[in-house]
Amino acid sequence: MKTITPYLLWFTLTITVLTVVFRFILSYGIENDSVTVITASAIFYGFLMFGSGWYFGWKESDYLPIYDIGFRFHLTTYIVHNAITLLWLGLGFGSQYEDMKISVLIIIYWGILLLIHFIFFLWSRKNAIKNLDKNDLFE
Amino acid sequence: MLDELLLSWENTYKKGQLTLWIFMALQESRKYVDEIKSFIEEKSNGTISCEEQSLYRSLRKFEHIDVVAYELQEGNKGPDRKYYYMTEMGQELFNRFVNRNIRLFYSNEIINILKPKK
Repeated sequence: MKTITPYLLWFTLTITVLTVVFRFILSYGIENDSVTVITASAIFYGFLMFGSGWYFGWKESDYLPIYDIGFRFHLTTYIVHNAITLLWLGLGFGSQYEDMKISVLIIIYWGILLLIHFIFFLWSRKNAIKNLDKNDLFE
Repeated sequence: MLDELLLSWENTYKKGQLTLWIFMALQESRKYVDEIKSFIEEKSNGTISCEEQSLYRSLRKFEHIDVVAYELQEGNKGPDRKYYYMTEMGQELFNRFVNRNIRLFYSNEIINILKPKK
């Protein structure tokens, strides 16, 4: 499928590494009841995730400007972040104070936002031909 | 003043021209990017200039929508070259575009209008 581009794959690899590192530091912070570690890691993780999405999205649009209003990158982030979180906690790597229910709630609420994004994505496809913006096809 | 106006008009006019020139280059024969670039610059008397990166970007889009394809052929030196050509759909698209937008300029009426007047 042409919409799975090399840049999307690089993005997936990058956020996988970032999420594993984040999960490790977050669990460490929760276990040691360190608000500083928890807050700093969350902020740092948020910035790095956004930055990598920005960077690879920009590189990809320069390579092939797929018109999906960022949905593929959002979906990838959702899958990677939540899969790693569930595996992390499910395999017992998390802190004893971490509650799986909170992660499940995050998946549900985030899933609703993702669904809204998906609706906008479907709406935007009216302006696309084979996933490219029809107004930007011919220069 | 007149030169400035001409430049301003030309800048607007040239937007959207690159596709037509790429297709004309490929209508002539299969070409790799350097040849397409040379064709455009030469045949447009230097009025259209294009960066290789812009050409690659356009060609990737055309390839994605199946109006252009390429075949690899051995280059003189170094890696194989991508020789681009119009697909059947690309050819049809080009023909229809030319019929609707370019052939207008072939009519005697328009040719007469375009003749310079003093």
